[in-house]
Amino acid sequence: MVVDSQLMSFFTAGSLVVIGIFAALFLDNLIKKIIGLAFLADGVNLFIITMGYKPGGIVYIFLPDMVVSNFAQTASYPLPFALVLTNIVIGASTLAVILGLVIILNKRHGSLSASKILRDKGE
Amino acid sequence: MSFYDIILKRIRKIQEKAEEEEPITNVTASAMLTAELTLIASVLVAVVMVRLIHPVLMIIMIAAVLIIALMAMPIMPRLRREQNDDLNNMMFYVVVALGIIVALFYWGNLNV
Amino acid sequence: MNANALIAVMVILPIASALFLNLLHKKDRTIKILAIITAIVIPIIPLLTPYGSHFFGGYVPLAQNATLAQGLPSLITGTQLFQFHPGVMYVFTSAQQLMVFVLGLITFFAIFTFLNETKRPSGVYAFLMFMGTASVSAILLSDDIFNIFVFFEIAALAQVGIIVASGIKNNYETALKYILLGNIAGPLLLLGIVILLGVTGNVNVTDMIFTFKQGYVDPNSPVILMALALIAFGWLYASGLPPFHTIKSAVYSKALPHGAALLQAFSVFTLVAIGIIILRLFSYNSFTNIAIIGISVIAMILGITMAIVQTDYKRILGYLAVGELGYIGIGLGLGTAFGITAGLFQAVNEAIITSFLFIGFGTVLYKTRTSNTRKLGGMMYVNPKVALLVLLAGLAMAGVPPLNAFQSKLMLIQAAIQSGLPELGIIMILLSIVTFMTFMKAFYTIYMRPKPKELEILDNKIPRSTVISLVALLIICIILGLFPQIATNSLQTLAAGLV
Repeated sequence: MVVDSQLMSFFTAGSLVVIGIFAALFLDNLIKKIIGLAFLADGVNLFIITMGYKPGGIVYIFLPDMVVSNFAQTASYPLPFALVLTNIVIGASTLAVILGLVIILNKRHGSLSASKILRDKGE
Repeated sequence: MSFYDIILKRIRKIQEKAEEEEPITNVTASAMLTAELTLIASVLVAVVMVRLIHPVLMIIMIAAVLIIALMAMPIMPRLRREQNDDLNNMMFYVVVALGIIVALFYWGNLNV
Repeated sequence: MNANALIAVMVILPIASALFLNLLHKKDRTIKILAIITAIVIPIIPLLTPYGSHFFGGYVPLAQNATLAQGLPSLITGTQLFQFHPGVMYVFTSAQQLMVFVLGLITFFAIFTFLNETKRPSGVYAFLMFMGTASVSAILLSDDIFNIFVFFEIAALAQVGIIVASGIKNNYETALKYILLGNIAGPLLLLGIVILLGVTGNVNVTDMIFTFKQGYVDPNSPVILMALALIAFGWLYASGLPPFHTIKSAVYSKALPHGAALLQAFSVFTLVAIGIIILRLFSYNSFTNIAIIGISVIAMILGITMAIVQTDYKRILGYLAVGELGYIGIGLGLGTAFGITAGLFQAVNEAIITSFLFIGFGTVLYKTRTSNTRKLGGMMYVNPKVALLVLLAGLAMAGVPPLNAFQSKLMLIQAAIQSGLPELGIIMILLSIVTFMTFMKAFYTIYMRPKPKELEILDNKIPRSTVISLVALLIICIILGLFPQIATNSLQTLAAGLV
């Protein structure tokens, strides 16, 4: 049974998104919530890359000895890859800020439980 | 006892159940009452907009909202307790809202 | 082409200044000079920039680039690819000019107040404020939806930084909650953007609208509706509409007053910018307007009813600010040119009035170090002039003539009645009355009732700069209230283009 790899890739991206939202919502440990959010971002990145897939596509660099019409028809779509690179950087910087906040809160409260640290303080 | 006093007593009872340590002043109880009346009035007026879909549906919905509001009268203390700063609470409502938005946009287009 | 480089300067100048301020942290005098110069220049640039578009990197559409278009086959020149925008494009018209100017003005007042209220101004805090301003200016100007997403994330990080820097109790927890929720909303917004990219082949909003109008894609396909839902969800997070209204009001209450003034300006202008993009892309779908009106009514009701029952005046202001966003949403959702103009005018007024209120009530925090209304009282005798200014700010928010919100709320109610939805007008009037009542309750408990014995009022004088900022904001409110055409004339062309 030959399965379309792009379709399977979309399903993987979708399941990563769902697992990420589940982890962010239901797990109590802050680090596990953050890993869930990383899953969510990775799922979206995989979705973007899968969208740029072209069966039999060549790398989108126009070398001097190429014919334009050939290149236009066979090159894979370059825009999604640029978006993913930017998104990975955004995800990394946000992750750094979140982890910094978690370190400080862990020092203050001595625990990593979201229901203890991030509950309603009644103000 | 007048109607106002009955409502005030019921609100204080619910507030006392919610926050035992906090002193209940007249200011907070009257604030709850104001918020309650504002909430019910705004929701009723908003429901009148259903007349654009079907006038009979609007009458049914107004009657339903009135009955539900009068039966569950001190809605505001419960609403206030529900909209707290707890992360789990907020995330729950966020995901529920996401589900509602996706479902509404997906199928809400069909009848408009 | 060169004069339009000023459009990019509106974003690049605050970023460059922010980076320098970050480097120069701890050199107090240099920070003060650089910050105040940048804060003065930022509102002036939009007034000098001519209207037009700016193409980053010079990547104009092929149709306008004769040299590059010469040797291309008809595969490209014969199709619509010739007209598409290959690079990032910023569009600057009268509406963007007004909004970037007002944003720059609020940044100026926030920086001015900040530099004079703290003894050792922090370069890092000024960096965060300027990065936020740059991001929201870019969101207002950009026609490229992925560019908007990138700046949306940068703005979220800047806002988290502003909360963390305040030193108020439990601010770290609020910052973490805000960014955790943002990390759900952000990737889902990106997913929506990317679905649109996959279907239309573009991230430029103008090109996407063209693709929809020409029928190259079916605008009612379920995939595009899913994209609309996800983009609307990201919009809800950025603006602070329900279900994000509790975290937004918590964010406003955990920042310093001038920081909160700036944060609410960010939320208002992001609501306007992304709301306009949603209307441009999806207004063919009449359910979009219904959804925007629905969420706005919920925002108004939830925000204002929660504001009445709070005891911390910063939370009262926070919930009022969130509730007032509903007015803007109703204006955008009505779908008529008059309604959209009214909504945009209400946004401009809202940003100014809420900054006025935050900075005004911030003087109470400055003098007493507490924001609990149960412990406050008798502040009228401490500084009657500031009390009068705060009272005028509250009247402005409620919509009392001759101040600006009266004009915009009147326009909104007229627009609602003209669209055949007078119930919206009734709700708006009712909630304006309740807003006024809430503000008067807060004003009474802080300023007018007798001072409790335990309340300690510090001896420090309220800085003159704060009073100057308040008076300047009051003057702007009065001018816009007496001459609303100054704002509505700029907004009308954008509104007419959206219908």
